[in-house]
Amino acid sequence: MIRAMRQHLIRPRLFWQVLSVETRKLMAYRFDFWATTVVSFAVNLGIAYALWRAIFDASGQEEIGGFDFVAMMRYYVTVLIVRRLVRVHERQRGLSADIYEGTLTRYRLYPTPYLPMKYAEHLGGLLPAVVQVVVLIAAVLLVAPGDVVARALAALTPGALVMGLGAIAVANLLSYLLIVPIQGIAFWADNVWALDTMMRFLASFFGGILVPLALFPDAARAVVQWLPFAYLYDLPVRAVTGQLGWSEWALGMLAGSGWCVALALIGSWVWHRGDRIYTGVGI
Amino acid sequence: MAVIEVDGLRKVFHVHRKAPGFWNSVRALVKRQTVEKVAVKDVSFAVEEGEIVGLLGANGAGKTTVVKMLAGIVHPTRGDARVLGMRPSTRDDRLRRQMALIMGQKAQLWWDLPAADSFLLLKEIYQIPEARYREQLDQLAAMLQVEDELYVQLRRLSLGERMKMELIAALLHTPRVVYLDEPTIGLDLTAQRAVREFVLRYRREHAPAMLVTSHYMEDIERLCPRILILRQGELVYDGSLREVIARYARTKVVIAHLAPQETPVVPHASLAALGTVTLDDDGATLKLEVPRDAVTTAAARLLEHHPVLDLAIEDEPVGAVIERIQQAQGDEHAEDAVVADAIGARARVEEGRA
Repeated sequence: MIRAMRQHLIRPRLFWQVLSVETRKLMAYRFDFWATTVVSFAVNLGIAYALWRAIFDASGQEEIGGFDFVAMMRYYVTVLIVRRLVRVHERQRGLSADIYEGTLTRYRLYPTPYLPMKYAEHLGGLLPAVVQVVVLIAAVLLVAPGDVVARALAALTPGALVMGLGAIAVANLLSYLLIVPIQGIAFWADNVWALDTMMRFLASFFGGILVPLALFPDAARAVVQWLPFAYLYDLPVRAVTGQLGWSEWALGMLAGSGWCVALALIGSWVWHRGDRIYTGVGI
Repeated sequence: MAVIEVDGLRKVFHVHRKAPGFWNSVRALVKRQTVEKVAVKDVSFAVEEGEIVGLLGANGAGKTTVVKMLAGIVHPTRGDARVLGMRPSTRDDRLRRQMALIMGQKAQLWWDLPAADSFLLLKEIYQIPEARYREQLDQLAAMLQVEDELYVQLRRLSLGERMKMELIAALLHTPRVVYLDEPTIGLDLTAQRAVREFVLRYRREHAPAMLVTSHYMEDIERLCPRILILRQGELVYDGSLREVIARYARTKVVIAHLAPQETPVVPHASLAALGTVTLDDDGATLKLEVPRDAVTTAAARLLEHHPVLDLAIEDEPVGAVIERIQQAQGDEHAEDAVVADAIGARARVEEGRA
């Protein structure tokens, strides 16, 4: 029993080593490293700016759903930074690519479980993401008006920071566990690009990247709270911007962790089944 | 004691088939045709400690599938395989710590990193103590002469250097079972020789059980005293390489080096009746490929009708013999011989087990 359980766990030293190798890999290509920071952030923020400027101007309202224009921009800056720390990798197709290209074979030979090892790889993207986020925050602080910066910093209390970091940690794990069962379908379907894109869209929409969840109708918001996506971006953003009390945060963390457990079980089942039909490319 | 024991191993794959053309592609969106492909048919054999066995067969014969099943990558449909007494399909860590697979066609190392970084990761994966890791790495890198390349990004190395790094990666943890799937594919002659010599030296020092697949006959001749031949998933030969020649070689080649002559050499007419005659471009060497029982007659006629300086008799190339066994289907005589031999091979394996 204990041996069976140990076969699903990875040693901390190995976890760190895998994480470190992934970090080194990501930082090996300077152009890609900086391009993912600047292009992705600038494009997304540019679209949000143009869209909401037009909406505010056309409606003639000062506030929409409790957000004035500055608060709306602050929301998008925060959510894009949180997304960088949660999703970590721009392209999250590593697992299905391992099946499709046969690189899973390499991991099958190692005396260590595959999915935790891949989570270590996923987490390996965190340090480069932190470096990129620091650069982005510095750029925003330089560009944004002083009073906007002061308001944002005032909301970032030590409590909000602790809650924010905790929520980002759970969201990061959740982000990985969401793709495990989806990408495991590649055992049967080979190519899961469409599912992957669909999942990315759902996560962006119901997680609050495209539109803040606060702007959703009440009924829709009630439904969204039962889905895992709200715990990816919405919860960390609200935590870090000081909109959450401790009890609301704890409840959100519990729900996010519950989703992690459920997805880990589903993912493990899918991979166990798929494993039996894996061919290692070619027969 | 056998390290690898295979008993009635079978693997059936389900593969999709689609007829070519636009409309067939559209049709395949709704309905797909699935066919069963028997990649490995009830194969049985055993490999002892310290033994290197060559696994031969044409493309698609099932060699790699056998290796994948023995490495625990692919689950068998039927039959039993045990490696060091454990079933590979259970992926027991105790077995995986003592096993290695090197695939010449597939890189196992991390493309974007220097090999030294990958080796450090493998040290952690296999929990190799620092001192042993250092000693093993130094020794392997020196044997393969790649000490200077350890710190260069893998993708910037030549194919031969990359294969050497793959060998180091696979052997760092000193496995007791090693599968080499086409280890010299695509390498130049020098690199091929280096890999072969390294494998032999590793075997001398560590005595692992090794299973080698290769399409290069020189790999097999140099490395494997014993071979297994697969044909369309079936094991049709299990025995010594030398025995293959004795049993299946139909011809011998008589080579005569001729004394210089003023007039162009014309092979004597009586030679053509014995077998195939070839004369090299400068007319100095005459080759006569004849049935084995006609060798003495051929040699006598050559000596009688031509000014022979030197005479040599060679066996039919082993590659040609094996190729014939692999492609025996359709040739009734060869088919019978091969099937009879396969039955004998299985009987020998079963006797060995008993």
